[in-house]
Amino acid sequence: MQRKAELLTMAGLIGSGATLWLGLTWAPSVAIDAFEAPIAQKIFYWHVPSAWAAMLAFLFLFIGSTAWFFKGKDWGWRLHVASSEAGLATGLMAVWSGCIWGAAEWGVPWDWTDIRLNTFAILTLLALFLVLGRRTQPDGVETRDTFATFGMYGFVLVPITYIATRFWQIRHPGPVVATNEGSLNSDMGLVLALGAISFTMLVTGHILSGMKLTKLELRFEELQKEYEERF
Amino acid sequence: MSGQTHLAVAYIGMIVALGIWTWTVFARGKNLEARIDSLALAMDETDKLQDELVSTSSEESE
Repeated sequence: MQRKAELLTMAGLIGSGATLWLGLTWAPSVAIDAFEAPIAQKIFYWHVPSAWAAMLAFLFLFIGSTAWFFKGKDWGWRLHVASSEAGLATGLMAVWSGCIWGAAEWGVPWDWTDIRLNTFAILTLLALFLVLGRRTQPDGVETRDTFATFGMYGFVLVPITYIATRFWQIRHPGPVVATNEGSLNSDMGLVLALGAISFTMLVTGHILSGMKLTKLELRFEELQKEYEERF
Repeated sequence: MSGQTHLAVAYIGMIVALGIWTWTVFARGKNLEARIDSLALAMDETDKLQDELVSTSSEESE
């Protein structure tokens, strides 16, 4: 299982590298008058898949938190831990690439009035809170319940973030996939699809590896306690 | 720096960051496995030593 997770992660990482390479060298550029910074638009092949991967991680975070909170499932807690770490990493990727694009296109890296930018940032901050909180608080049922509650209620922001540009398009561009307003060039769509598949594999592999890692951490703590009690 | 170079630097930075994250997760797993193995081994060794001590002391008392 662990070996499969590692292979999935490595395949996702290689696919992400290929997406970057193809996005930079092969995918067609947008029309010169379509954007203020047409070259910077190519960051979209990284930004969209990483945001997609973050959303997937937040979905798994919700599932894990719910399974722990209502059923007390150990796998639920491990899924919570692994997906909060994955959500933080991919969320930071999306925020960082968005800031780079925003600085080139809008002249500012961030817009505090844009709904999507801010709800997504709150989600990433929630993941940061969960990762840091778990590392600084002693493990126990109360601690797990508290963090699981944040994981469950934080998920409310996922659909809000998803529909934000459909209802309140302020600065962040609207959807380019699954929309009636035209579609992507097929080569662009291909690179974007490769990116989405690669990031899905990467985040899934990371979550599986993270779950195994949490299991090992708990086993180590258990053994250490047993050793200290015996001697 | 041209726009393309700027973008390439940003891309390389991000793929390196992803690589570091992946390596960290794998390394943490391997490190924990090694620590668990050595702790389990230490516990086994100590158990054996205790058993030997108990059997030696019971032989002496006989």
